Amino acid sequence: MDPTLAVLVYASLAAGAAALGAVPLVGRDDLPVTAIGWANALAAGLMLGAGYVLMKAGFDWPAAYGAAGALVGITFVYWSHAASGTKDLDLNRLHETRAEYGYQVLLVNAIHSAPEGVAIGIAMALSDSLGIFMALAIAVHNIPEATVLSAILTSRGVRLRSAAGLAVITNVSQVLLAVFTFAIVSAAPAVLPWALGFAVGALVYLVMAELLPECYRQAGHTTIALVTIVAMGFVVLAGVGVR
Amino acid sequence: MHAAALVFVYGSITALATGLGALPFAFMGRVSPRAVAAANAIASGLMLGASFGLVAEGTRYGGWQTIIGATIGVVFILATQHVLGRYDIEFGKARGAGARRMVLMVVVMTVHSFSEGVAVGVSFAGGAALAVVITAAIAVHNIPEGLAISAVLRPRGVSVAGCAAWSVFSSLPQPIMAVPAFLFVEAFAPALPYGIGFAAGAMVFMVFVELLPEAYEDARKPEVALLVSVTLVGMVLFQQYL
Repeated sequence: MDPTLAVLVYASLAAGAAALGAVPLVGRDDLPVTAIGWANALAAGLMLGAGYVLMKAGFDWPAAYGAAGALVGITFVYWSHAASGTKDLDLNRLHETRAEYGYQVLLVNAIHSAPEGVAIGIAMALSDSLGIFMALAIAVHNIPEATVLSAILTSRGVRLRSAAGLAVITNVSQVLLAVFTFAIVSAAPAVLPWALGFAVGALVYLVMAELLPECYRQAGHTTIALVTIVAMGFVVLAGVGVR
Repeated sequence: MHAAALVFVYGSITALATGLGALPFAFMGRVSPRAVAAANAIASGLMLGASFGLVAEGTRYGGWQTIIGATIGVVFILATQHVLGRYDIEFGKARGAGARRMVLMVVVMTVHSFSEGVAVGVSFAGGAALAVVITAAIAVHNIPEGLAISAVLRPRGVSVAGCAAWSVFSSLPQPIMAVPAFLFVEAFAPALPYGIGFAAGAMVFMVFVELLPEAYEDARKPEVALLVSVTLVGMVLFQQYL
């Protein structure tokens, strides 16, 4: 298969996995708030684990490039939140009646997917096995993330099937950026350590700004910490031999 | 000097360096709840970054051993929390939940130093020529750990000197463990990935269960996220150049 086509296929599968996030909502109107907390913590742990595996792959390059890229990645997400007015938005409000809230949550999810795409694209450029590993990690991460999004959307009266579709659509930016990053890095390998740092910095920022803050209010601290660290440990262990 | 005594002296120098982490707090005035939250976020970033580096090192010896060590580290924190929860604790001027968090922080950073001490001893056994380089590296690496401890203790009323003393205390296991690890390197080397995993698991869990939730209570999300992610990147960068 043409390598760029392979990136397109794997990134699309990862984006499509988001549809599975709607499954826990089949046959019910609502999820208990603790379940939302668990889903957030699961997504956070998987994402931090993916960030760690990517960071470790970057140790082959001078760390200063990676760190500079990471600062750009952090700034990118911070700025896009600030510019779109979603910086302090509570991302997990069920039954919020404001009309714009639904669009804001969809926007935040779409921005959130962009660095995930960079992560898949850069991993694919490093090696096939790391690329498939990253696509798989992001795919699994997308599921609980989509569960939270679907719960918010259905509580606003969106049909479940539409919610699942919207969850996939917010991940389209992930597919596009995976292909874009892969193409750029293949054409100009010097960009690699920067782009890698960008992805790591952005992923860590997203976990700290979007996923973890809400869940401590939704379930007990110990439960959240355990779910997060177990999910993270799972990705770290699975990624040990991958290079 | 006997080689083992030399290891002890070098180990003590690295322990003393931890106290330097309290220095930045000598230049800070009154501490608001928001500053406590910011300090928690900075400590979180430092500890997560340190753990990323530790896990990368531990998995080179063995992935499963590192994960098993990390699991023991998590169980250790849960057990310590459980025990501390049964007593009414005072730490300086603080009481209750704040004091418990301070004690837990000192305990976590102290037990994590055991595996660092083993790492020092084992690496000294690898070749005395590198001894000074290794000592300098570990000593500098300890300073942000002292910073992390002081970030939790100082806002809750411990003096700067007290912060420095507790920081040094948390690193005392380094000289104590370095000597036997150096003398019996064959026996200690296989335990290293478990120890590294333990240290990383305990620190990451401490971040998730104590430091981050408190940070989110008193500071805004983007502030916490910025501080954690930037200090994490800084810590990883710092370790890579040492």
